[in-house]
Amino acid sequence: MQQRRDLSQTHTNRVLLNSQLNTPSWWLPTVILLGIVVIIGWVVIGFILNKGLGVTGLSRPVFWGLMIVTFVFWVGISHAGIMISAILRLTQAEWRRPVTRAAELLTVFSLLTALLFPLIHEGRPWRAYWYAPYDFARGIFPSVRSPLVWDPSAIGTYLTGSTLFLYVALLPDLGNLRDRTTGWQKVFYTMLALGWRGNPRQWKLQTIGGILLSALMLPIFVSVHSIVSWDFAVTTGVEGWHSTIFAPYFVIGAVHSGVSAVVTMMALMRWLWKWGDFIRPEHFDALARLLIVVATGWLGFTFLELIFALYTLEGPELALREMQIFSWPWNVWFIVFLLTGYFIPVPLWLFKKVRNNIAMMFWTSILVNIGMWLERFFIVVPGLARKTPFTFAWESYKPSPIEWFLLGWSVAWVSFLMLLFARFFPLVPLFEQKESQVFTTNVKIGRASVPAIIREQE
Amino acid sequence: MATDRHSHTEVSHEHPSAPSAGEVVEDLVAATGAGVTFRRVAYILGFLAVLGVVGVIGKAVTVGGDTTKWGYVAAVMAFLLTAGGGAPMVAIAPALAKANWVRPASRIAAMFSLIGIVTSLLLIPLLVLLPSLVVEETRRRSVWFEAPVYSPHVWGMMALVGLTVTGLALFYASALPDFAAMRDHSTGWRQRWGEKLSRGWRGTDVQWRSLRMRIGMFGTLYFLLLVFTHFLISTDFAMSMVPGWRDAIFPMYHSVSSLQAGIASVTLALWVARRYGGLERYLHLDQFWALGKLLFAFSLLWFYFFFSAFIVFWYGRANADIAFLDLLIRGPMVYGFATAFVLCFFAPWWLLIWNRLRVSVNGPAAVAVVVLFGLLVDRVRLYVPSWSVPGDRIHDSYLTDIPATIWPDAFDILTIIGAVSAAVLLMLLASRAVPAVSIWEVQQMNLLSRPVQFLRTHGVLVAKPD
Repeated sequence: MQQRRDLSQTHTNRVLLNSQLNTPSWWLPTVILLGIVVIIGWVVIGFILNKGLGVTGLSRPVFWGLMIVTFVFWVGISHAGIMISAILRLTQAEWRRPVTRAAELLTVFSLLTALLFPLIHEGRPWRAYWYAPYDFARGIFPSVRSPLVWDPSAIGTYLTGSTLFLYVALLPDLGNLRDRTTGWQKVFYTMLALGWRGNPRQWKLQTIGGILLSALMLPIFVSVHSIVSWDFAVTTGVEGWHSTIFAPYFVIGAVHSGVSAVVTMMALMRWLWKWGDFIRPEHFDALARLLIVVATGWLGFTFLELIFALYTLEGPELALREMQIFSWPWNVWFIVFLLTGYFIPVPLWLFKKVRNNIAMMFWTSILVNIGMWLERFFIVVPGLARKTPFTFAWESYKPSPIEWFLLGWSVAWVSFLMLLFARFFPLVPLFEQKESQVFTTNVKIGRASVPAIIREQE
Repeated sequence: MATDRHSHTEVSHEHPSAPSAGEVVEDLVAATGAGVTFRRVAYILGFLAVLGVVGVIGKAVTVGGDTTKWGYVAAVMAFLLTAGGGAPMVAIAPALAKANWVRPASRIAAMFSLIGIVTSLLLIPLLVLLPSLVVEETRRRSVWFEAPVYSPHVWGMMALVGLTVTGLALFYASALPDFAAMRDHSTGWRQRWGEKLSRGWRGTDVQWRSLRMRIGMFGTLYFLLLVFTHFLISTDFAMSMVPGWRDAIFPMYHSVSSLQAGIASVTLALWVARRYGGLERYLHLDQFWALGKLLFAFSLLWFYFFFSAFIVFWYGRANADIAFLDLLIRGPMVYGFATAFVLCFFAPWWLLIWNRLRVSVNGPAAVAVVVLFGLLVDRVRLYVPSWSVPGDRIHDSYLTDIPATIWPDAFDILTIIGAVSAAVLLMLLASRAVPAVSIWEVQQMNLLSRPVQFLRTHGVLVAKPD
């Protein structure tokens, strides 16, 4: 259902630029509070680097723990931007317009956060350049065939592309801000606006740029999480990892968690900035419908992953699955994972009342991301935790409080970056909003007034 | 809040080239008539279909229960499931997404569910030949684990029949208003036929609501059954025949390539209906352009799903991984694989990326032929080697001796030609029983879209009712 409203351009400017031109009173205390958490987090990271990974719960044979799980989780969240912005732009879904900026932003900040975790996890981040096969002759890092080299390349490309994507879409709004500010802010926006005047040539280039970037980003979007999945799938030695389904399974799971994160963010934006005119229940309704399809696809992949793990009836694989599903405490977490990832939110989303209830959408989207984090935990840790023929020691993995803190810190860090961004740049694209006003209307068909949209003619 | 003045003005209520409501009914009902050419083609296809039956019987008589010789029959069955099973999704998915372009294409797409009849018939000999779950008193690897031994036989057939029946129910439910149009706007057998099948359709609000609900319900059920059927057929009739082949993505690869084939089949059928069925006024560039984009996307997905499996096997280098690559990619089917790779992915990619070809009527249709042939070869390269593995190796951990290439014999060729001909014949006959382009959906499209002057250019105003 489209709940189209006629909004003047003046009203759109005034409301959507309120964060930049009249900072809300809650903004500063919130940023300070988050800033304190962020600073503590950096101190903790410094502590880990100083003392070594011994302060974490990582031990033989579980060398990949919460930090890798959180890395995969944030890479997953980063799939929100391209899914919402590029795919919905290419498919001309009109309801995407107020959502795009927030989704693209979430992509950029999630990727930045994701990249931090392998750096911390490796213990010696000053040697991060070893990821790049810059000198084959040294014999230290000769193999471009290693998935650990593919990862930084893929994520780096995705981060560059996403930043560019975000920036190109930001240009008209930067021009708008430049014309409405004075002093240092005017200088700041003038530099960033790159001479945007909104003439037909610039609009044409901006539109073509957006479409081209959308099309170019799609393969990167798919490849990033596929490559992350191959970190695991190409490893034959760990039970539960060597599965051909991992690439699309990771990608669809990423879309599920990413789009859910966008729902969370949209609800917060509507509440905090009072953008009810722009972020309407129809947008949550559309996102929930999309999520029903994506989540059901994801559940299908989960089923296939599980059934083909059992398919060969090999002892170690059966034992692993038995541990995951039936052994304490894994069994409880497995149930929580299924309930929060699918069986609570999706049946609720089938009801239109829930889809149009922003508080319900907010809480169900949070549930999804709890479930999706647990899914990554179930992929990474149990396979390592079991004794295999070549491990001489094994024990259950118990994340240390430091690791749990870093997980929470990552959420605060992303929120902090988002709030900082929101102080200087509009979170809802103004030009998209205005374009939407021009492209949509209502038409009378019989006795009914039906929302309509203008499309390109064949 | 001030209201912005819209910069577009309506040019007229209806598309200038759009026929009037009366013309639509008259044209589309009249298009169900069978001309001389139609009859000739139908007879030829009927003859070829009979040859197909001869092919299957000949195969049964000459090779009997030797499963290694039945790979091509399994391949053509899988191909028909792939092409015919995926096509109705073209009617379902865009409609759920409220895409306007799909309306004139949805009837032809739904018609493809008839092909399920041929697929189900071809499945019968294969069910007889399918190895039991218990071989030499030991259970073989399958997705059935501890289920009764007849499970793959019963559930495979039930899934396929269920898919076909659901597809036909979707086809029939969405054709009700058109049967009523035949009843009200034709004479002779068509009128009687329309009267009988329209089941008292009068177009009341209740009937329309019920129609929409049925289409949504059958559409959703069809999609679920499609994935389930592909899961069973791909695992029971290919993967579980090869020792050591464990490929979790294979059922999804099978389903995704079915959607690719479905899009290609509908594109080709629309082109034929437009070129030879006198439906130029109803099938426009819009349909071919949209289908071209979908075909492009699914050709890329074909590669993605193939590569996701390939890299894990290629990188893993375990014995079972190497055996998989030897059997299905670089061994007896190396040329089949290369052909499928080029026709399913490489050619559509490079052809459809070209705007002039994609934004045309003939371009997507030509690529559709390429893709369909590619997918036939792909099914051959998957099913023929799988069936060629001797039954006594079924309990091995992995395949140690890769079977040699099995070339089709005369009966295989007859079966392939006959099965495809029977499928096309059913489609042709259905296009005489009900308008190939849905009358009510075309009327709806004309009602919901109209050309507008937008600034200095022309656009189409598309209404999107709930």
